Amino acid sequence: MTSNKVPFSSNSIRLSVGQWVIVGIICIVSLFLSPALWERIEKFSPGQNFRIPYDLSNDYWLYKRYCKFVGSQSRILVIGDSVIWGHFVPRDKTLSNYLNETTGSEQFVNLGLDGVHPAAMEGLLRYYGKDITNKNIILHFNPLWMSSPKQDLQGEKEFVFNHPKLVAQFIPKIPCYKASFSTRISAVFRRHVVLPNLLSHIKITYFQNSDIPAWTMENPYKNPLKALTFNIPDADLYEKKESTSHRQNNAARNGFQWVATETSFQWSRFRETVQLLQKRGSRVFVLVGPFNEHMLEGVNLESYRYLKKDIESQLLDNDIDYYAPPALPAELYIDASHPTSEGYALLAQQLCENEAFESFVLKSKTD
Amino acid sequence: MLFHSWPFIIFFLIAYPVYLALKKTRFGIFWLLAASYFFYGWINPLYLILILYSTSVDYFSAARMEKSSHRKMWLIVSVVNNVGLLGFFKYAGFIVDNLNALLGSLDIGYEIAPPGLLLPVGISFYIFQSMSYTIDFYRGNIPREKSFVKYAAFVSLFPRLLMGPIERAKNLLPQLNQTPAVTWSDIADGLSLFVVGLFKKVALADYLKLYVDRIYDSPEQFQSPALILATFLFAWQIYFDFSGYTDMARGIARTMGFRLMLNFKNPYLATGLGDFWSRWHISLSSWFKDYLYIPLGGNRKGRFNTYRNMFLTMIISGLWHGAAWTFVIWGLVHAIGRFMTREMERTEFYKEKVPKLVKQLFVFCFVCFAWIFFRAESIQDAWLIIKRIFTSGFANPYCPILALVLIFAAWLYQFMYESRIKRLLELKPVRITIVVLMIFYLAVFAPSSEQAFIYMRF
Repeated sequence: MTSNKVPFSSNSIRLSVGQWVIVGIICIVSLFLSPALWERIEKFSPGQNFRIPYDLSNDYWLYKRYCKFVGSQSRILVIGDSVIWGHFVPRDKTLSNYLNETTGSEQFVNLGLDGVHPAAMEGLLRYYGKDITNKNIILHFNPLWMSSPKQDLQGEKEFVFNHPKLVAQFIPKIPCYKASFSTRISAVFRRHVVLPNLLSHIKITYFQNSDIPAWTMENPYKNPLKALTFNIPDADLYEKKESTSHRQNNAARNGFQWVATETSFQWSRFRETVQLLQKRGSRVFVLVGPFNEHMLEGVNLESYRYLKKDIESQLLDNDIDYYAPPALPAELYIDASHPTSEGYALLAQQLCENEAFESFVLKSKTD
Repeated sequence: MLFHSWPFIIFFLIAYPVYLALKKTRFGIFWLLAASYFFYGWINPLYLILILYSTSVDYFSAARMEKSSHRKMWLIVSVVNNVGLLGFFKYAGFIVDNLNALLGSLDIGYEIAPPGLLLPVGISFYIFQSMSYTIDFYRGNIPREKSFVKYAAFVSLFPRLLMGPIERAKNLLPQLNQTPAVTWSDIADGLSLFVVGLFKKVALADYLKLYVDRIYDSPEQFQSPALILATFLFAWQIYFDFSGYTDMARGIARTMGFRLMLNFKNPYLATGLGDFWSRWHISLSSWFKDYLYIPLGGNRKGRFNTYRNMFLTMIISGLWHGAAWTFVIWGLVHAIGRFMTREMERTEFYKEKVPKLVKQLFVFCFVCFAWIFFRAESIQDAWLIIKRIFTSGFANPYCPILALVLIFAAWLYQFMYESRIKRLLELKPVRITIVVLMIFYLAVFAPSSEQAFIYMRF
C-alpha cells in the first residue's frame, strides 16, 4: 500500500485548518470565560466565622475565591495552618473569633488552611492569594514545622506531606519530595491556568474529591450533572465539635530535633512569605506559636527557647512586628501546638494586651 | 512516555520543530533517529541495546542477502534471531513455568530457576516490523535500504514504536526517503486523529477500566449481570485503548508528514470473524496472513489444510499477545469462531436471510466471549467467570449508566458511519461540534491520573 492510498481513518472526524481555528477559538474563549461565568453562577456567601471547610482544604480555587472576597473588605486577615484554622475546635471558637469577641468587632477573618506548612503557605499565597494586596495580615508561624528535619522537609527519604502541589516543584529542590516529573509539571501548569483549578474545585466540592469517572463508580445510577448544585456546601455541614479525644499525652518528651533557623527550609519559606506579602503592599504582624513547651524538657526545652529567641531577633532585625507569647497553661493544649477553645480565648486576650499588636490593630483602623 | 503525558509533550515540543527545520537536510534523518531512540531510551536505556542489535542483524542480513548466493541462509539468520529474541525475552518465563509444572507433575524434585527477565516494551511490534523487511526483501518485493540510519529510523520511528501499527517497509521506507512536505493540512489531519485517539483512551478506555478491573480482579464476588457487563465493557475498553493509541500515533506521524497504516476499522460492526480480523489490529492480522498463513499454504490446499493453517495462525497470534495459556485459548476460540462463521457464510440462509444487525450482534457476542480469556488473570479465573455467568443468578451490577451511554454513543456513531446516513456525520457543524464536545468532556471528565496502554505489555 503506498502512502497516498492509506485511508485517513475509520470515522469522519477530520477537520480542516479553518475548522480547527474555529474549535480553537471556542476552546480559548471557554477557557477564559468559564471561570468567570462559574463564579457568577455558583453561590458563595461566607458568613461570620467562615473558614474553608476541612474537606475542601485542597480546593485552592475556593481559597482564591475567598481571598478575593475578603480582599475587597477592610478586615484583618489571620493566616496560618491548622492552629489558625482551629483543627480541634468549632469555627466559632477559633483565634480569629476570639479576637473579634475581645475587641468587640468583626474585623478579624479566618484565612487559615488546615495542614498548610510554611513551604506550602508560600505557594498558596503566591499563586492563589494574589487578591490579598494592601491588607493588614496576622501571619502565624508554628514552630512545629521546625521540630525535626523531617517536618522541615529536609529528609532524604520520601515523606508524604500536606499540600504537595503548593511547594516549589523544581527549585529549590526538596529532597523528600519524590513526585514524578509529570506531577510536578502539572502542578506548575495549574498555578498559571485557571481552568484546571476550577475543574479541581468542582471535583472536590461536588464529587467528594473524586474524579467524576470514579464518582460514577460509587454512584452508578446518579446523573453527575445533577450533582452540580452550584452551591458551595455550607461550612456547618463540615463542622467539628470540640475534640479533646485527640488530646495526646502531653508529658514531656525528648523526641524533638529542632532545626536552626540558618538551615531551616520551612523558616526560609516563611520569611519569603512575609516579604511577598509586604511587596504586595500588606502590613504583616507575625504571631509565633505558642508551642506547648510543657512537652519539652532539658536540652530540648533549651534548644526550643534558643530557637524562639533567634526567630524573635530575626523578626526584630527585619522590622517585622511580632508577638511570641509564652506557653499557655498545659491544660489549654490538645497537642504540641493546638490550643483548646479556652486556650484560643486566652491567646486572643494576650494578643490584645500586647503593645505591638495593639498598635498594629490601631493603625489598621486608620488605613 | 505516554502520548498524553507531560514528558512526551515536552519531548515533542523540542523534537518536532527541530525535525521540521532539518527534514530536508541530511541531518533530518539523524535527528529523527536520535529522537526515536531518546523516546525509547526514556523508558529504559538498556532497551536501546536490544533494538540496535535487532536492527543491525536485520540490516546486515539483508545486505548479505543482496551479495550472497545463500540468500535463504541469511533470511533464516534474521528470522531465527528475531524469533529467538522474542522467545527469550517474552516466553522464557512461560516455558520455564510450564517445564516446572511438568516436572512437578512427574514428581521430579527439580525446579528450573525462573529467568526473571524484564519484557522490553514494544519488542513484539518492532521485531515483527523489522522481520517483515527482511522477508519482503528476500521475496523481492522491496529494494534493500542501503542507509543504516534510514533503516534504523524505519524500525524505531517513535510514534509507532511502542504499540504499532506494524508498518511494512514498502509503505514507510519510501516516506523516510522522500521526507514528504508537511502541510497545514497534515497538521490539521494529525490533530484530528490525535484528539479522537486521546478521547478514546482517556475519556473512554480509562473510564471503562475502573469497572472492568473491579469485577475481573475478584470475579468470585460478583454475579452474572456484573460479569456480563464487565466483559462487555472490556470489549470496548480494549478497543478504545488500542485504537486510541493507534489514532494518536498516526496523528503524531501525520503532523510529521508520515502516513501510517490504518489499524482499526470499526471491528464491532463485523459480520463474521474473518471480517472481524480484517478490521481489528489490521497490521498484525495482515502480517500473520502474509508471513505465516499464506506461506503455510493459505486456502490453496483444500478445506482441511485451510482450517489447519487458520488454526495455527490464530493460536500463534494468540501467543504473540502474551506468554500465557489464556492467550493461546483466546486464539483458539477465535479460530473456532472463524471456522464457524466461514462455514455459516457458505450457506444461502446465512448470507441472504440473516439480517446484518443480527450477524453483527452474533459476532460481537462471540468476540466478547473470547475476551474473557484475554482479560482473565488465569484459565481458572476465565472458567470461573464463564461458569458464574450462567449459574450465579441475579444481583445489582452497579454498572455506571454513563459508561453504557458513552459506549452506545460510540457504537451509534460507527453504525451511522458505515450506513447510508454517513453524510450527516460529515457535515461541518456536526464534525466541529463533536470535536468541541470531546475536548470539553476530556477537560471536565477525564481522570486525573495517566493509565498505561493495555497493548504496551505485549
